[in-house]
Amino acid sequence: MSEIPSPPSRIPEQVRRLGVVAVLMAGGFIVVRTWAISPEYKDTSLQKSEAVEREKAKPVHYAGAAACTECHEDQCGEQQLGKHRNLSCGTCHGALQKHVDDPLNEANRPYAPRERDFCPQCHAYDPARPTGFPQINPAIHNPLKPCISCHKPHAPEPPETPQECSACHAEIARTKMVSPHALLECTTCHTTLEEHKTTPRGAKPSRPTTREFCGTCHNKGTAEKSAPKVDLATHEVKYLCWQCHYPHSP
Amino acid sequence: MKEELVQRLAELAPKVEGFIYPNEVEIHWSILIVVYPYVTGLVAGAFILASLVKVFKVKELQPTYRLSLLTALSFLLIATLPLLLHLGRPERCFEIFLTPNPTSAMAMFGFVYAWYLMAVLLLEIWFEYRPDMIRMSQTKPFPWNWLYRALSLFSSDVSERARAFDAKALKAITVIGIPSAFLLHGYVGFIFGSVKANPWWSSVLMPIVFLFSAIVSGIAMVMLLYMIITPLRGKPIEIACVDRVASYLFYAVIVDFSLEALDFIHRLYESEESIGILSTMVTSRLFVSLLVMQVLLGMVVPLGIMVVIKLSKMNDELRKLLYFTAAILIQMGIFSTRWNIVIGGQLFSKSFLGLTAYKMEIMGIEGLLTALVLLALPFVILVVLLKLLPAWPGDEAASSAPPPPPVSDAGPAPAIAPAV
Ligand code: HEC
Ligand code: HEC
Ligand code: HEC
Ligand code: HEC
Ligand code: HEC
Ligand code: HEC
Ligand code: HEC
Ligand code: HEC
Repeated sequence: MSEIPSPPSRIPEQVRRLGVVAVLMAGGFIVVRTWAISPEYKDTSLQKSEAVEREKAKPVHYAGAAACTECHEDQCGEQQLGKHRNLSCGTCHGALQKHVDDPLNEANRPYAPRERDFCPQCHAYDPARPTGFPQINPAIHNPLKPCISCHKPHAPEPPETPQECSACHAEIARTKMVSPHALLECTTCHTTLEEHKTTPRGAKPSRPTTREFCGTCHNKGTAEKSAPKVDLATHEVKYLCWQCHYPHSP
Repeated sequence: MKEELVQRLAELAPKVEGFIYPNEVEIHWSILIVVYPYVTGLVAGAFILASLVKVFKVKELQPTYRLSLLTALSFLLIATLPLLLHLGRPERCFEIFLTPNPTSAMAMFGFVYAWYLMAVLLLEIWFEYRPDMIRMSQTKPFPWNWLYRALSLFSSDVSERARAFDAKALKAITVIGIPSAFLLHGYVGFIFGSVKANPWWSSVLMPIVFLFSAIVSGIAMVMLLYMIITPLRGKPIEIACVDRVASYLFYAVIVDFSLEALDFIHRLYESEESIGILSTMVTSRLFVSLLVMQVLLGMVVPLGIMVVIKLSKMNDELRKLLYFTAAILIQMGIFSTRWNIVIGGQLFSKSFLGLTAYKMEIMGIEGLLTALVLLALPFVILVVLLKLLPAWPGDEAASSAPPPPPVSDAGPAPAIAPAV
């Protein structure tokens, strides 16, 4: 191969010039990479395995729901069938790796949230929760007893279903019943088609969307005598009324 | 620092609607990340315009050829800055190259960028300007002559054969350049499109939508620059050239518009679980920037203007004015597009139950001022580049101080050329 004579003039001048630049750059790269960078930086597998080691060295706190099946078949089976099936055991019982490792040790006895203030963390009324998520007002919903006296924590029963709006929205109906809005019909604020009662998700009732709606009774100077008045122009203008006043128990 | 953060969150809190996770309250990909795809898009677009001259031999576009190249270069030079400033340690950027991580799409951008800068744009500019640089290295006074000598890499061969080689090389580079420009900007779309967890971004159409909006913005930018610079040089604007650029712009906008419409329709038809929050976002938080600025002012109105120009016979002055307006609207529209993608993608909660708000800093490394500086910088670079490498030969004859002695193409090579 080297026999073939290629006089420099045969290669266009441009290519030679650019060639020098390219060689300089490649050379610079090789020099820096070979000598200036320490090997740990270059070896990605090394870095990765270090990271893996570091993470693996951390203590395990959560056992994971699968670990419980072995010893607590009852609760696991029960929960599978109930409304709480999507909750992990650890959500309510906390981190339990120690308990799994040594279940008979009293010191590792799992915590079971039997108090009343635990469940409302998920079930207290909060306008940001998705529609249809079961919510209650803890101050009114059977306030004197712990939740688990009526609801099985691993498989909470769905409420019974009588008629009318309260058939399905019993909680709201009952809340409203003892609130200042007791005398307002549900339909004052929710335009509801008859179909809603047979296909609730297919025909959703309307919901108030503006402050002005509440203003029709509560704004200063409106006709509705019995309703206490506020000045809509000054009363917490930045928020929707129901960010502060639960509409079913204002 | 912590107090400042708390204060910022407190200001944001009232603007937050519904349920969002605590780490979503504040938006982390700020306006700098909006500037980044916008600027990269201009690079790709301007280059595509230049390629039209070289590959498809569109004669009318000749006056914009060098301008497009230099525009592409000046934007490319700052294209990485927004990212580097956002990451916070710009001085470490070279490590991306020295310790390459082939499995990181983000890291690969460094290579796409380097390839595009070194192997495409600089090479093309070098070949295009080589004879000019050689000439200037002989005619300009010290120290400029040395600068040109260095820039031309001490090249000296301006023979017929060497020039023929230049032309051939230019053509080859352009042919490689087109897919590279597609790669450069398609890549930016890829980065967003491949974020699986974000329904606003995750779409295979993303790279293509990005690409076409890039072409639109690049062509419009070169057109704007041409229409601004030419009068400043005291030359008449060549209306045939502007007409031609505008007609490419027109088709590019139509393709871009259809692609974006397709994307939206596709999302609506798919109606994945995210569609509720996305439509709420589009009609509330993004109403002005998406429906008004991006779609109406940034696309429908410019398209209308260009249709009117095509249909009616109006005089050149009015036509120029309308083109100019359309190009500015398009720039604004594409910037809004980037905004809507980058900021929009972070406004809604991963829970799909709430929206947050973006509160832009003014000062600060991620603030509005930095963004404005970054957007202004390419124009400064462009001015310098245009001074160094005149885009319109014949211009510098009038501007350079000493009257240039006639240069023959076969002039003797200066002795300084090193033998290689
Ligand atoms: C190796 C078997 C084993 C595993 C695995 C195990 N447990 Fe237990 N668990 C026990 C035993 C035994 C007791 C009874 C301890 C006692 O009464 O002192 C118990 C008691 C409990 C209690 C009762 C506490 C109380 O106050 O009544 C709870 C709650 C509990 N376990 C939850 C869990 C959860 C959740 C897991 C999964 C992370 C789990 N356990 C995994 C064996 C196990
Ligand atoms: C919604 C919260 C919640 C979840 C989720 C939950 N538990 Fe419980 N668990 C409780 C409460 C509350 C008690 C106390 C019940 C009582 O004292 O009657 C309890 C009691 C227990 C007990 C003690 C025996 C008993 O029934 O009183 C065991 C064992 C137990 N849970 C295991 C589990 C396992 C296993 C899982 C996962 C499959 C699980 N729990 C998931 C709330 C929960
Ligand atoms: C005295 C028994 C009792 C106690 C104590 C009790 N509940 Fe209920 N709860 C009920 C009944 C009965 C229903 C069925 C609906 C109805 O008639 O209101 C119900 C319904 C519910 C619902 C469904 C609401 C809906 O809209 O679908 C939730 C959620 C709930 N309860 C949570 C709780 C929580 C959390 C606690 C503790 C703070 C609690 N309950 C305490 C009896 C009780
Ligand atoms: C981590 C959040 C969480 C906690 C804590 C929690 N729940 Fe639930 N609860 C849920 C979810 C999720 C559902 C299912 C909602 C659905 O089906 O849409 C549910 C459903 C229910 C229902 C059924 C309502 C219906 O309409 O059928 C009741 C009753 C209930 N929970 C009671 C309780 C009680 C009592 C506790 C306390 C021991 C509790 N929950 C703790 C999340 C939680
Ligand atoms: C057959 C049971 C049933 C009856 C009866 C019923 N609802 Fe509902 N309603 C539902 C269910 C289930 C939902 C939740 C729909 C969802 O979240 O998709 C709902 C939702 C609603 C909503 C919320 C709509 C939204 O935008 O999310 C309102 C308001 C409402 N119902 C009002 C009423 C009123 C007023 C009445 C009486 C005139 C009534 N409902 C009777 C089952 C019922
Ligand atoms: C004073 C007007 C008013 C009355 C009367 C009223 N509501 Fe509401 N309702 C509202 C408002 C406001 C909301 C909240 C809208 C929101 O959060 O977006 C709401 C929300 C709801 C929701 C969906 C949110 C949730 O809590 O799950 C249901 C279901 C509902 N109401 C049912 C009823 C029923 C059933 C009645 C009659 C027993 C009733 N409402 C009476 C104003 C009213
Ligand atoms: C149809 C008229 C009407 C509408 C609409 C209405 N309210 Fe009322 N509201 C009343 C009346 C009447 C009372 C007073 C009842 C009483 O004190 O006996 C009242 C009472 C109140 C109170 C005072 C409670 C207290 O403890 O004194 C508040 C707060 C309130 N409403 C908020 C709202 C909000 C929020 C809305 C919108 C979702 C709303 N109201 C819509 C008629 C209305
Ligand atoms: C930011 C929270 C907030 C919002 C939003 C809000 N309120 Fe209030 N509202 C209050 C508080 C707190 C009071 C207690 C009385 C007071 O301080 O004047 C009150 C009092 C009232 C009262 C008088 C109760 C009485 O006993 O005299 C009415 C009526 C009322 N609000 C209606 C409304 C209406 C209608 C809206 C929507 C336009 C609204 N509120 C929005 C916080 C709020």
